[in-house]
Amino acid sequence: MTSFFEGWEKWSPQILSIVRIMAALCFLQHGLQKYIGFPSATPPGDILHYVQGAIEVAGGILLALGLWTRPVAFIMAGDMAVAYFTQHMPRSFFPALNGGDAAILYCFIFFYIVFVGGGAWSLDRKVLRQE
Amino acid sequence: MTSPFAGLERYAPYALSIVRIVVAASFFEFGLEKYFDFPGPAHVDMTPIYYVQGIIEIVGGFLLLIGAFTRVVAFILSGDMAVAYFMIYFPRSFFPGQNGGLSAMLYCFIFLYMVFAGGGAWSVDRSILKQE
Repeated sequence: MTSFFEGWEKWSPQILSIVRIMAALCFLQHGLQKYIGFPSATPPGDILHYVQGAIEVAGGILLALGLWTRPVAFIMAGDMAVAYFTQHMPRSFFPALNGGDAAILYCFIFFYIVFVGGGAWSLDRKVLRQE
Repeated sequence: MTSPFAGLERYAPYALSIVRIVVAASFFEFGLEKYFDFPGPAHVDMTPIYYVQGIIEIVGGFLLLIGAFTRVVAFILSGDMAVAYFMIYFPRSFFPGQNGGLSAMLYCFIFLYMVFAGGGAWSVDRSILKQE
C-alpha cells in the first residue's frame, strides 16, 4: 500500500516548513485581532488578553520566519496548553464540545516543532546557520 | 540559543506519534458526533454529505489513531479537510480566524505532514505490518 509514498520522506523538511508557516500565520492572526482589529476586532479584555495577544504577535512572527524556532515553539506550545486547560477544559472534557479543538492542534504542532525544528526553509537555517 | 534543545531531534519520531494519536483522536470525535451523538450532538444538519464525512472521520480517525496505513490514510484525510475548508469555510471569509475553518486548516496541514513523515515510532505500520 505504501509503495506509492516511497521516497516522499525526503520532502518532509520542506513540508514541515509549510506547516510551520501556515500555523504561525493563523496564530499571528489571533494576536492581530486583539491589538489592531485585523481581520476583525475582538472585544477588549483584561490584562491577560493583551499578554496573550503579545505572545501571539511576537511568537507568530518569529515562528513564521523560523527565527529561534525551537525556543519560540516551546513557549507557544506551553502557552496553548495553558490556554486549553484554563479556558476550554472547564467547559467540557471533549475538544469537540469545549471549543478547544484549534488550541489542541496548535499545541501539538508547536510541540512537534520543538523536537524537529523549523524544517528546510527558516531563518535559523539560512541566516543563523543553526538547526 | 538552541543548546537546551540539542539532542531532542532523536525523540522526534516519538513526538510525531504522540501528535498523530492526539490529532486522530480529536478528529475521530467529530465522526462519533455525527453518528452516535457522542460526546455531543452533531454541529451540522445531517445532510447525506455529512454522513459520508462522518464515515471518513470514524474510519480515517481510527486508522490514524492506531497508525495503520498511515500515509495513505493521512493523504485522504488531508484532501478531505482541504475540500471541507474550501467548500464550507472559505466562502464565508478569507481569514481562518473568521470563517470558522481554523481547525480544518490545521488538521489539513498536520495530515499533509504525516503523508510525508509517516506515523512515527509507535504505530501499527511499524510494529505489526513491518513497513514504514
